[in-house]
Amino acid sequence: MRTLLARVHTGPAAVLAVLTLSACLLIAGMPRVLQAAYDEGLRRTLSTTSAQEHDLVVTSMYGDVLQERGQFEARERAFRKVLPPGLASVVTTGGTSHIAAATVETPAKDRARQYINVGWLSDLARRVDWVSGRPPGRTHTTYVPDQRKFGTVPVVEVGVSEDAAQRMNLGIGTFVVLGVSHHTAIQVTGIYRPKDAADGYWEHNLDAYKVERRLVPGAEEPDLYITTLTSDQGLRTLSDGNRRVVYSWVFGVDTERVSAREVPGTVQAIKDFQRAVAVEVGSFNQGRLETGLPRRLAGFLGSLATAQTVMYLVLGGLVVVALGVIVLAVRLLTERMDAALALMRARGGSLPQVTSAGLAQVALATLPAALAGYLLAYLVPGPLTPIVHVGPLLVPLCALGYAAVRLTLAHRTPLNERRDDVTSAKPSTRRITLEVMIVALALAGAYLLRSRGVTTEVGTQGQDPFLLLVPVALAVAAGLVTLRCYPYPLRAIVRLAAARRPAVPFIGLTLAARARSFTVLPVLILLPALAVSVFASVVSSGVSSTQELAAWQQVGAQIRAEHEVEIPPEAVRRIERVPGVERVVTAETGLAQIARSHIAVISIDLAAYQDVLNAGPVRLPPPPTGPGTPVLVSPKLPRDVTFTANWHVPMKLTSAGVIDSLPGMGSQGEFVVMPADANERSGTPTRVNLALIKGDADPAAVAAAANLPGLRVRSQAQALAEIRQAPLTSTVQSTLVMVTAALAGYAMIAVIMTLVITAPARARTLSFLSTLGLSPGQAQRLTVLEVSPMILITALAGLGLGLVLPAALGPGLDLSAYTGSVAVGGYRTDLLTPVLLGVGLTAVSVLGAYAHTALGRRRSLGSVLRVGD
Amino acid sequence: MNTPTLSELEAQATKAKSAFGADAHIVCDNLVRIYKTEGVEVVALQGLDLLIQKGELIAVVGASGSGKSTLLNVLSGLDVPTAGLARVAGMDLLAMTAKDRLRYRREVVGFIWQQTARNLLPYLSARENVELPMKLAGKARKDRAAQLLELLGVGYCAARKPAEMSGGEQQRVAIAVALSNSPQLVLADEPTGELDSETSEEVFEALRRANRELGVTVVIVTHDALVSEQVDRTVGIRDGRTSSETLRRAGAEGEIIAEEYAVLDRVGRLQLPRDFMNALHLERRVRLELESDHIGVWPAREEPSDEH
Repeated sequence: MRTLLARVHTGPAAVLAVLTLSACLLIAGMPRVLQAAYDEGLRRTLSTTSAQEHDLVVTSMYGDVLQERGQFEARERAFRKVLPPGLASVVTTGGTSHIAAATVETPAKDRARQYINVGWLSDLARRVDWVSGRPPGRTHTTYVPDQRKFGTVPVVEVGVSEDAAQRMNLGIGTFVVLGVSHHTAIQVTGIYRPKDAADGYWEHNLDAYKVERRLVPGAEEPDLYITTLTSDQGLRTLSDGNRRVVYSWVFGVDTERVSAREVPGTVQAIKDFQRAVAVEVGSFNQGRLETGLPRRLAGFLGSLATAQTVMYLVLGGLVVVALGVIVLAVRLLTERMDAALALMRARGGSLPQVTSAGLAQVALATLPAALAGYLLAYLVPGPLTPIVHVGPLLVPLCALGYAAVRLTLAHRTPLNERRDDVTSAKPSTRRITLEVMIVALALAGAYLLRSRGVTTEVGTQGQDPFLLLVPVALAVAAGLVTLRCYPYPLRAIVRLAAARRPAVPFIGLTLAARARSFTVLPVLILLPALAVSVFASVVSSGVSSTQELAAWQQVGAQIRAEHEVEIPPEAVRRIERVPGVERVVTAETGLAQIARSHIAVISIDLAAYQDVLNAGPVRLPPPPTGPGTPVLVSPKLPRDVTFTANWHVPMKLTSAGVIDSLPGMGSQGEFVVMPADANERSGTPTRVNLALIKGDADPAAVAAAANLPGLRVRSQAQALAEIRQAPLTSTVQSTLVMVTAALAGYAMIAVIMTLVITAPARARTLSFLSTLGLSPGQAQRLTVLEVSPMILITALAGLGLGLVLPAALGPGLDLSAYTGSVAVGGYRTDLLTPVLLGVGLTAVSVLGAYAHTALGRRRSLGSVLRVGD
Repeated sequence: MNTPTLSELEAQATKAKSAFGADAHIVCDNLVRIYKTEGVEVVALQGLDLLIQKGELIAVVGASGSGKSTLLNVLSGLDVPTAGLARVAGMDLLAMTAKDRLRYRREVVGFIWQQTARNLLPYLSARENVELPMKLAGKARKDRAAQLLELLGVGYCAARKPAEMSGGEQQRVAIAVALSNSPQLVLADEPTGELDSETSEEVFEALRRANRELGVTVVIVTHDALVSEQVDRTVGIRDGRTSSETLRRAGAEGEIIAEEYAVLDRVGRLQLPRDFMNALHLERRVRLELESDHIGVWPAREEPSDEH
């Protein structure tokens, strides 16, 4: 019986199955793709960090006396023991992990500005190749030549790096006395070279590999720092409590193992470890954990939270729409079964029997499809998150729940004959109250969203689920309002049509104006689908245009060439001759002292510069005019005053206007824009150090033509590519595009399904009218007129809502993480995509209506009129 | 004056008065059904009285809109009357719970609709269609379907789907479906409405056989007055009330005599046939005179108008 029912309704069941499968695939697959993208983003964020920044380094100094290798290793084991589980999984045992000890800033006697530390590395032997000499070994004591008063000093054998041996003149056999009060001598026995200098290991021990130069203010030459490396024996001597020795245990972090989901846990684990380390080492020894990982992770969490918010918004809309379409398909299937189930009910089927028979069909269509979708999602690359398992369950549950409610209501009483052909049921008070509540909630949510922001503080406080629901709630609210209101304008048109002679518009629009219950679902699907897809496309294009703006703001021209000192006029002329270069505007930038503070100044011909900027979205104010040397100042500097700026020479300037921002000057901070000849007016020549180039030239060719060492050339295209390649940015962009496409698809399905659901009723009406003399052409026009107003009005409402949403939620949605820190403001209403969506949808519905009547014509009138008579 | 004494009145009051139609199989007493849509009330049944004895084969005849389908829906337990009394096989149709109603539909009543397509599921064979109500009631009996189909003369259709059967065959299978759970009552709504007279005859024969051999009470609702030739008793419905009855009996010489009666209700109301009223211009009031063996009905006397 049940299998028979299923066989009879294969069409709707297949549609339901396909929809369920795709929705489950979507719900299970999208989070995986996104999670993988988040992980990739995290990897890319961490890959730019040095080992020194992301590794965990436990240091201990003062009073902690460890002399034997065994003591260090025991301490390491103790640290590993208190490593929180969240951290233990990412900390490596090999890799960059090691133990080190070294003296700090040990001055070398008789060697001016040289500091030679003595250090020890637990795995020195496998980290270096000995270029000459031998590895350090035993320790002995000696009298320092010519300095008998020191008494005996220990002599520690050390090895030095090639760089140190060369730059600090530490050849094999060199003997140096170190220290100020407690003297130690070192003797160089070998020169080594790191086996793999690029290994993160050497970032922790940089001065054991390269000489470090530190320039002290006022000094003419830099101080040189080096750490020499000694043996286990040397360590014993070194660490006898007479010297300041810093011990460090480096725990390498495998950044590949950190997943985006575990970031908050990892941050917490680091804090826990910090406390545990302090306890383990003892506060007296100043034991502490040093790592830049939490800061990096916090930064990542910030942009991740924003990405997740946007994803939740659009994916939430997508899920709602997908479920809506599935509910529509369930309705189609159950409506097809209604006749059989009603007969069963009348013939003595109990409500549970009838409902379960119907539910079995829905289950048969959805459960295997959901399982298939779930399994297919395993083909999608990405980690398994709980939503991957729970999400696909939601779809059949939703379908079965709706089917259960609908079947129960439809067959609660046998032979439930409603005369909805005569009157439309008036909405109940309960329903109106519910609708008003949804609209009020959506509006209140939108207000909260505007005032609080949906992405602010998400990094620390997490997402607010209520605010995340606001856009969807707004769409549903708009749908409800549309549903309640759309018959009114139509009725007005009907009244106009009634006065005219042709009958088709009148009948068609009258049919359309009669609010039938089945129009509820399509409107509630179509509207959010359109709204969210338009929202996604507007946000997406807003983000791209803001990225472009940000790139222009960063570079300030199609190509920017700057030099620390000067770009000579010949170099400028050579640049001008590069193919593709249309114009070069030169400028001089620098820092001038204005009233005790240093402020960025630039002297540039603004009119010429505007010509360069014409290719981009940035517009400049007109050049300053007025007596003296008129300048434009940034908003916080005083206006309409004359002041003195000390640049190359003191200059008298008059602030003649305000300029909000100048590309390339950064968005923060103060600056002054002077005329190009400002220096000349004060009697000094202009030393051009910035060339802003208009034209589509190759940056490399520009650099080559200038032939100027130290010239930095950067193009706007490069900057844009960098912004777009930033972690997560491409994920956000591509997801927005994907969601737009998926929603458009769902909207089309909803329209087609509505046509199919309403087909029997329409066929009856049309057949009846045909007996009264309606021609097939008129029947087609009638169908189009009946179907299109609802879709047209819904499309318009969805379009409107989608366009308003970014503006309404804009202040609450901080997408600057993806646009090179420039806030996405003033979403340009790029109407192309939204209008295409709306037009496409309407076209599909109209074509569907035509096709439908064309197909319907094949059936004979008699058979149609007898159907369900 | 023959005034009854107090004790006589007392005795009269306490004397168990047999209820209206206490022994009948189907009792409808002052049955009212009002449909309300958007504040507009449609009174489909306005105080209908009907008594049907067990094992009767009866037709309810009325014009379109007279309320006969409403009556059938009420009797089949698919619709609940607004007021009055409706009892079938001792079950009060107004006071039934949903569970009772389900049991009623499973055990007491079976029905046949006019549209052949509506009676049978198109994708089930005749036998499966007959078995469906038994399965729903959870008491499938082997061979019952075959027996019923055989009894109704459509045993050869057992494996056929409705589309492969003629209209008459479909209706006879539908009767088998209605009989599958051995109901006490079978209701048929225009069972021959879509059939030609020859096929109709087959269907009526099948209904008569079911009535005769299984002892089932059969109520047929139709607008076709000729149906009265096929049944023992025909009840006419007009404006939501029973108006006339036609009894069919065999005469002394074996011929069939059909006599039409007007229906007298419990309080003595009588509905005069419309053509009688038209013929004598009976309007608003009539004059009655009681004779020894009949009551005479005369048009009201022409009285001088007050305006003159």
